[in-house]
Amino acid sequence: MLGVGTSLSTRRTAGGIKPPTHKEHSLRSRIMPMPIPPQLKIPVGATKSGTITLCIAAGDHVHKYQKLAQLQMSAQGRSCIPVHAPTSGIVSAIEEAYVADHSQQKQVCIVLTTDGLDTSLPLEPAVDYRQLASEELVTAIRRAGIVGMGGAGFPAADKIDSAAHQAVDLLIINAAECEPYISADEALIRERAEGVVTGAAILQRASSARRCVIAIESSKPDAIQALEQAIEAQTNIAENCELILVASKYPAGSEKQLIQSVAGIEIPSGQLPARHGVLVHNAGTSYAAFQAVAQGKPCISRITTLSGQALKTPKNFEALIGCSVEFLFDICGIDKSLRAKTVLGGSLMGLQLPSDNAAVSKTTNCLIAAGSAELAPPAETQACIRCGFCADACPVRLLPQQLLAFSKTENNSQLLEHGLMDCIECGACDYVCPSHIPLVSIYQDSKAAIEAGRTNHERSEAWQQRFQYHQYRIKKEKDQAPTRTKAAPANKPAAESGESGESVSSNGDGQEFFSKEKASREIAAAVARVKARRAESKSVASEQDKPK
Amino acid sequence: MSNMDTRAPFQHSGKNIAQLMQTLLLALLPGICASLWFFGYGILLNILIAGFFALAAETTMLRLRGKNIALHLADRSALVCAALFAIGIPPGAPWWLVALGIIFAIVVAKHLYGGLGQNPFNPAMCGYAMLLLAFPLQMTSWHLPNEVVEGALSVDSLGIPIAGAEQEILSPLSWRGFKQALLLSFPFAASSDFDMKAFTDGLAMATPLIEFKMAGHSALLAARDSGASLFSRESETAWEVINIGYLFGGLLLLYKRIISWHIPVAIIATVLVVSALFYAPGSVSIYGTPYLHLFGSATMIGAFFIATDPVSAATTRPGKIVYGIIIGLSIYSIRVWGSYLDSIAFAVLFGNFCAPALDQFCRPRIFGQGLSRANNESTKP
Repeated sequence: MLGVGTSLSTRRTAGGIKPPTHKEHSLRSRIMPMPIPPQLKIPVGATKSGTITLCIAAGDHVHKYQKLAQLQMSAQGRSCIPVHAPTSGIVSAIEEAYVADHSQQKQVCIVLTTDGLDTSLPLEPAVDYRQLASEELVTAIRRAGIVGMGGAGFPAADKIDSAAHQAVDLLIINAAECEPYISADEALIRERAEGVVTGAAILQRASSARRCVIAIESSKPDAIQALEQAIEAQTNIAENCELILVASKYPAGSEKQLIQSVAGIEIPSGQLPARHGVLVHNAGTSYAAFQAVAQGKPCISRITTLSGQALKTPKNFEALIGCSVEFLFDICGIDKSLRAKTVLGGSLMGLQLPSDNAAVSKTTNCLIAAGSAELAPPAETQACIRCGFCADACPVRLLPQQLLAFSKTENNSQLLEHGLMDCIECGACDYVCPSHIPLVSIYQDSKAAIEAGRTNHERSEAWQQRFQYHQYRIKKEKDQAPTRTKAAPANKPAAESGESGESVSSNGDGQEFFSKEKASREIAAAVARVKARRAESKSVASEQDKPK
Repeated sequence: MSNMDTRAPFQHSGKNIAQLMQTLLLALLPGICASLWFFGYGILLNILIAGFFALAAETTMLRLRGKNIALHLADRSALVCAALFAIGIPPGAPWWLVALGIIFAIVVAKHLYGGLGQNPFNPAMCGYAMLLLAFPLQMTSWHLPNEVVEGALSVDSLGIPIAGAEQEILSPLSWRGFKQALLLSFPFAASSDFDMKAFTDGLAMATPLIEFKMAGHSALLAARDSGASLFSRESETAWEVINIGYLFGGLLLLYKRIISWHIPVAIIATVLVVSALFYAPGSVSIYGTPYLHLFGSATMIGAFFIATDPVSAATTRPGKIVYGIIIGLSIYSIRVWGSYLDSIAFAVLFGNFCAPALDQFCRPRIFGQGLSRANNESTKP
């Protein structure tokens, strides 16, 4: 039975698959608080992505919740992301290390040797979020260092800001969590639904959204019940917070697909949902916002799923940011002889981790220690028989079989025409392909090739222009000496007479007078030349544009 | 490119081509059994001969092309091609006819274009069409069951009619029927003085649709009105049952989601609508009833098994519907106004010609693209 304010979305979205979820293993036990590891490597960010400002130096003693550093993103319109100490200890080094996130590059990490005392700074006093204005809430969220916990890692405050000049109609809390293996949000909601619901209300107030919807897959009855109870318990929230169940299929939780199934709005390709009055935040983000505002805690931990057949006891952890993957696996009783690979994230969009040394980041939602039988390497690839299963599975209604053919022939114009850039790389096509073709990888390579081609093209375009201009200038200079008179018949006789005048009166009177007049003439001629040159270079540029 | 194995997704549905092909073969069984019941062992022999030569040709071509023979033979696509080809060949066709057709299908129509997944035309139908053009007589002589048995009984091994034997009616599934089928398939096995021509002429018979086309509508309707029961092995009911068998198999494919509904539904609906439009009850026209068009010939097998060959068909959903309509129209036109008797092969090949253009022009709207400006604005609060 659906509770009050709960409804089932009847809107159909395109495509989708129903893979076995494997979530039950990690959901058997409750969320486990984490023992303090001897060392934490707290990721701040990659040096490429912005300016890192450290608030501490190596050798400093820090307390729990203390601000350690912040990353000022270089990309426009993004604010800084602070990081805080998850526990107390001594900063032993600041170094570059691998982080368990999708960046696949080394990031600056603060190495914290913990002292086990867990002494904390006094928390900021808990306040009633209803007393705060939306700007104050955004500031609090920014100061807590909250990023998109679903995996994107986009600063949550910036996301709210991006819609600040828009009237936000709808805030969607994404609790769909459709990808196999990942159960972090489900576990969080089962046990701490009040926090998620309050967080939703905070985010709603912060973004001044008219309505708030929590969207969850209909296949999660325990979590749904917990949410219903939490919403009912808080009467002020129950008024404008609605629970919507979406069909349980992958990728139901993909942002634009979720917006379609919840609100019936199809966000146009290449546009942000905020432009259409919709904001989507992850359930984990919502809980972090609750902690930041209602409890005054910065983001120092997250719920991370540990799963896979190589683990004796798969479970969800409240993982401290910066603890190593290996430490978590050890607590779960990993049998390394059974493990075939380690995957970060879910089984369909995850990333294979090269080593267990990587540090848990704010976006590490799931870690899978896969046994040799599960997530096995694909069987030998066979030819595409154009069965179209992929097209039926594609949530974006692309034609993967056609894209594959165009990728093989590097037919970039057809790839773009067939919407390659709209591919969300969800992997549904790969999953159903009877020929085991690694479609997503092929598309990723094609996308990269097209991007590289574009930058190359732009670069060569720029060089070609410079070269043509250079040629033009040489030619012009060559032509100019003999034809200056012909090109400018009005100036020419004057110039010639001036020239002759010069020769005549060289030894005569008024050196001053002559030079002044010559100078002014020369200036006028130069101005005319520049004008002519500009006009011509413009026409050259427009001609270059034409053939495309 | 090198690290394909270490990139997402890591999970797979476990489907593979061999499974698909195997289910396809399984789905052919009801129709094949029905054919066996009515026509005797001829159809089985055709399938076996075609299967043998298909595998031989496939192996040879894979070897010549330097491919992994075990991997590619295991996908069973050659067997499917052989089965689809052989069920269209009249029972009692000589072995070389079957072999020639399937070798043409596998070697020319499939491998010379690049093997599985690369052929622009349905290989089985290429082989079939080639035979239809080169050997029209052999390809349209169906040996109807009663004739098979009676015809065989009426002559002894020397071709001399045996008096009094006409009364004995045997099943085409009897030992005698089997021997006959063998003799028809492998004429070289007969003794030298056996009058093969008289023997086969005595057996030749046409499909109901051919009969209908030649003799007007009266003969068949009369037979139906006389109350021929479905399983009496009357020539008029054979095709009905066989088509129902293939329809059943086709529904299995739909249920197993091996084919989508678009192509079969489009073909059947088109044939139904067009034949209903042109059919005038009581007139002496040659158009035939919609029922005859759907169940009196190879429409069902064409719609569910042959036109749905994914490699050569249109692959987009809207494209599939147009593709089905084109094939449906071609089936009817060739049957009624064309000079060929059955038309599935040519209709499907014609559809294959159109498929690449359909794929290009009939595409589904990509999510988030092509939204009208007004629609865009209306989504804003």
